Amino acid sequence: MRKPALQPSRPSIRYVSPRYQGPAVLAFAVIIVTGGAIFWKLVDSAFQRVFLRAAIRGHYAFDSAYDIVRDLLAWHLAGLFVGVFLAGSVLVLLLIAATRHGIGKAVASLRASADGDLSTPTGTGSIGELDRFGKKIDAARSYTLASVLEIRSDAAALAASGIAPEEFRLRWDELKQRIRRIAP
Amino acid sequence: MSGPGAAGNGPLIHRRYVLGLLLRLCVNFAGGVGILFVILYFALSRSLPADYEGVFHALRNLSPFLRPILAISVLVYAILACGSTSALCVYILHKVAGPLYRMELILDQYRSGAHTRTVSFRHDDQIQPLAQTFNLWIGALHRDRHRWLATMMNAERHCLQDEATCRAEMEEALRKVAEDMARYR
Repeated sequence: MRKPALQPSRPSIRYVSPRYQGPAVLAFAVIIVTGGAIFWKLVDSAFQRVFLRAAIRGHYAFDSAYDIVRDLLAWHLAGLFVGVFLAGSVLVLLLIAATRHGIGKAVASLRASADGDLSTPTGTGSIGELDRFGKKIDAARSYTLASVLEIRSDAAALAASGIAPEEFRLRWDELKQRIRRIAP
Repeated sequence: MSGPGAAGNGPLIHRRYVLGLLLRLCVNFAGGVGILFVILYFALSRSLPADYEGVFHALRNLSPFLRPILAISVLVYAILACGSTSALCVYILHKVAGPLYRMELILDQYRSGAHTRTVSFRHDDQIQPLAQTFNLWIGALHRDRHRWLATMMNAERHCLQDEATCRAEMEEALRKVAEDMARYR
């Protein structure tokens, strides 16, 4: 019989992080809407002009209005695609660069922590989620540093205290317990 | 990863991931423009009459409807493109956002004093060096903690001898531990 309580808990995976993906989605939406608005404005004025001219000249050679503006429409659609794609690509590259910078700082900070530097700020950057993440890393490092410094100061004090053996033993055991609680 | 020294030296975000993202964006935007083209094609492809007057009136009558036709086409394009790009962003960027969220949970657990396990991300996640360097740090803390405890327990062994030796060894162990902890700053 299966015992669900004994199964190892699997860490949950969240696919949507509004703080990280939200600004990217908004920025893409702004690019698409701006591109669409520019396209609309340009195509509208160009089509009005072309259709007016075509109406006066009488384009018997064309089967439909589409035939009159085919090339114009193709160029404007190509322009819309290139413009939106280029702006989107720049946004992607900026986002990747900001992530690389922010996470790179976090990695450097954790590597420095392994060497004992727990006080230099991580400085992950200005993107909301990365900034918050950097602060969480700093908080974990500060927490560790505070524990270690407190134990260190108590250990030094206890070594020089000269207190009674019973009291010494009590504080010795307490110190051991506190050391055990570092990164349990 | 070959050892602790190599931890976190891999690329944070793989070039293949970036190229894949750009390629998907390209296909996505091309699809959006394709839909816009189809809408405008059907709106403008009605046959024109064969005589001059018919063409003149057909084209003049088209002008007042052109703006709303374009506006609706662009609106449909914007809605579809925004929707598909949002889905793409969520799908692609979760390979960065997911590990970040996971690390935040682990950091919160660490601060709450819960048992800290080594971290590993999903196989295709980005920012893998983050997990590796976190494991490196926690590993260093574990090693130091074991060394400090070993120093103290080694001193306790002298308590089988006389009281004075025991006390001297314990005080010496405390000084060693305090000195060892001085590397943390």
